[in-house]
Amino acid sequence: MDISTVLLLGLLGSIALPFVATATGRFGGWIAALLPASLFVYFFGLTGQVGEAPIVDVVPWVPSLGIDLTFRLDGFSLLFALLITGIGAMVTLYASSYMERKPAFQRAQFLLYIFLFMTAMLATVTADNLVALFVFWEMTSLLSFLLVGFHGEDPKARRAALQSLLVTAGGGLALLAGIIMIGVEAGTFSLAAIVADPAPLIDSPLFPAIVACVFVGAFTKSAQAPFHFWLPNAMKAPTPASAYLHSATMVKLGVYLLARLDPVFGQVAWVGATMVAFGGATMLIAAVQAVRATEIKAVLAFSTVASLGTLVMLIGLDGPVASVAVVGFILAHALYKATLFFCAGMVIHATGTTQLNRLGGLARHLPVTAAATIIACFSMAGLPPFIGFISKEYLFEAKLASSFDAIVVAIGVLVNAVMVAIAGVLALRPFFGRARRPIRLINRETPGMTIGPVLLAVTGVAFGLMPSLVAHALIEPAAIAIHGEAFEVSFKLWHGLTPMLALSGLVVVLGATLAWYWDPIHVFLRRRRAFDELLTDRGYDRVLDGTLALARWSTRVLQNGDLRVYGAVIAASVTGLVAFGLLSGAGPLLPDVAEAPLRPYLVVVCALIIAGTIVAAIVPSLVSAIVAVGLSGYGLALVFLMNGGPDLALTQFSVETLFVVIVTAVLLRLPVVARSSRTEGERWTDGVIAAAFAACVFVAALWVAGKPFNPELTEWFAATSVPEAFGRNVVNVILVDFRALDTFGELAVVALAALAAWVLLRASGKTSRSARKET
Amino acid sequence: MQSVVLTAVARIFFTIILTGSVWILLRGHNEPGGGFIGGLFGAAAFATLALALGVETARRALLLHPVVLMGIGLFVAFASGVPGLITDASFLTHQWGSLAGIKLGTTIAFDLGVYFVVVGGVLSFMFRLFAEDAR
Repeated sequence: MDISTVLLLGLLGSIALPFVATATGRFGGWIAALLPASLFVYFFGLTGQVGEAPIVDVVPWVPSLGIDLTFRLDGFSLLFALLITGIGAMVTLYASSYMERKPAFQRAQFLLYIFLFMTAMLATVTADNLVALFVFWEMTSLLSFLLVGFHGEDPKARRAALQSLLVTAGGGLALLAGIIMIGVEAGTFSLAAIVADPAPLIDSPLFPAIVACVFVGAFTKSAQAPFHFWLPNAMKAPTPASAYLHSATMVKLGVYLLARLDPVFGQVAWVGATMVAFGGATMLIAAVQAVRATEIKAVLAFSTVASLGTLVMLIGLDGPVASVAVVGFILAHALYKATLFFCAGMVIHATGTTQLNRLGGLARHLPVTAAATIIACFSMAGLPPFIGFISKEYLFEAKLASSFDAIVVAIGVLVNAVMVAIAGVLALRPFFGRARRPIRLINRETPGMTIGPVLLAVTGVAFGLMPSLVAHALIEPAAIAIHGEAFEVSFKLWHGLTPMLALSGLVVVLGATLAWYWDPIHVFLRRRRAFDELLTDRGYDRVLDGTLALARWSTRVLQNGDLRVYGAVIAASVTGLVAFGLLSGAGPLLPDVAEAPLRPYLVVVCALIIAGTIVAAIVPSLVSAIVAVGLSGYGLALVFLMNGGPDLALTQFSVETLFVVIVTAVLLRLPVVARSSRTEGERWTDGVIAAAFAACVFVAALWVAGKPFNPELTEWFAATSVPEAFGRNVVNVILVDFRALDTFGELAVVALAALAAWVLLRASGKTSRSARKET
Repeated sequence: MQSVVLTAVARIFFTIILTGSVWILLRGHNEPGGGFIGGLFGAAAFATLALALGVETARRALLLHPVVLMGIGLFVAFASGVPGLITDASFLTHQWGSLAGIKLGTTIAFDLGVYFVVVGGVLSFMFRLFAEDAR
């Protein structure tokens, strides 16, 4: 089966299955998990084939714009696809158990979001066309918004959901700009083609702008400094969603994209250096914040941010070993972090407590969870024989092998020491520490909630003990895919006595010390309020508040409710634009008046029009003014009629008539002679604007008439109207056939405007009625 | 402001203008006219009725709520583009056929949609304004 077919089936299953599964009762979760599990089997079955060559499946979409739905599965995509579907199956089981007591509809809704997210993720990591990738990328942002705000009754959840959406979707806009520039400069949107021939991009003058835009997109998605703040806040999501989106899958998309583009970006030194700088800053900030955090999920979230920073830094480093380190770390991190989130969720579910320092002695009540946590924490701490150890060895090797300074290694050692400390605290404290107060258990372990963490933790051990399981099948194709060319990949547990082993030893010693003195360090850092100012989302608040204040200010100034101000602003703006156009043009053109004979009827009609406007401007009576305006309108219609525009004339006549009818209805409620509410000065301003507007339009009209007329379109429409659209009325044929989509859009505008007027009139009717009642 | 003459001829005028508006709508493809102008005339017909005999009479004559009419118009215009989507793989590419010797196309449906939207749009707030006045 093609990848596109599988994705389509996945989408259909995502929509249907949650409702079917929740309707079946107790074993619904197991039924629902069949979808991600079967997708996992499908992708797993492709492993051998992908090892040989990437699988490509082309589906045309918008060929005229060079946009297609090409899906391309290479080693790196396959790694992600397996993680997405494998962890997806665990999340489904876990969520069904976690939300057991929620109403059936809510459970179905949650599974629906999770499945849709899974499908969007699969499409993102297999899409070869950058525009298609962007569409799926934004879908994941939207679904993340829905999942973070799943408990919408909680204002904090709403705030976090909005924040994650504004940050990631805002970054998405920058990414779109970057993608469009890439498409323009490279002449293609295909990732594979761009990576195969990076020269046009690198030589382009737009290259720095492209890099900046892609960075903003990737850094917001992957929570890099200074956008790191949204991820910890997103922990308001139900834990299964946190485990899935905000640790193992979605937040890695930024990393995914950077790794994909590394064969291009990696060729320019400053691009890599920028990634190393941002990644390093993110690692340090996250390490400090992780130690300061008090909630279990927050600690995990910050350690995730630190891991994402590590990945970005690794991508920025040069050399093939960095590619192996990236791939290995993505795999190891997904395995242990998803486990830890599952276990943290289990602890919260069982105790109802989210604060780390209130937990203790849970090993007796939650033995399976405790075991899984300990295994995952060993992996996180990078101790042998777990996969985390292997990935960390490669991480240090990549840092030592790169051309960067020792500072990269120093940051790595420091942040990894914090990881070790966190791992120690998480593994020991809730399960073996002493609780300050006795803990009351609300829920017990269920198979649905423990199978995921146990399987993932065991997988981590298996891969650590037998790295050959994944080295050739998964790691090698993936590392080659992002490195851009084939190289010898080794992924082993034991390297001998190397500098990396010494660094690992140093990390463990430092980490153990930190874990031992965790409380004093935690309290010390917690008391430093300056960190709150610098490292949390204060900046986001300021930007958001500023934007809202700007919106309020502009509404107050521009939308102040005074129709005359609107009119003046619009007229003045149009005048300014037209005047600018005229002044910056090639100089005045005048129509050749001598050739055209003076037509007496035109003189009469024009005199009528002018008389109408003058009367309308000076009479105090509104009724007279309406009649005078009507006079001008009918005069204009006459001009149209006599110059070959019967349709226009007919429209003008009927509009003028209806205008009088409608205005009559309004006028019946107004005094016949309006008291002028304009001051002398205001009248002068109005007059000046009106005169300037008229002058500009007059000059522009002369100019237009002076230009030689290009009859190409007229002739084309006249020639094609009957043979192609079977209509002799060219105006109507253009409206209903040639430009039918425009007309349809205008129809929608007319309908919406009428609807708005209708609603507004009802509102005013109510107030005036109630006002009348009161008097 | 009741005028005996206006009241007496209103229904006749209404019929004439409405028929005229439909005629303008239908001839539009070959002669001056079309859905937009026809719609304006149609609205004028109902406006005559509302002015002379009161807004309730006009409402009853319209049978449907103006906003509903507007929605139907949008839907009809949209639906007229669907056949093109199916046969020619492009939305709003009009299809032609002949029925009893008369050449007919989906353009008529599109124009009818325009007509409905214009009539409904104008009347939706005109009725409101007149109703306000009546109170």
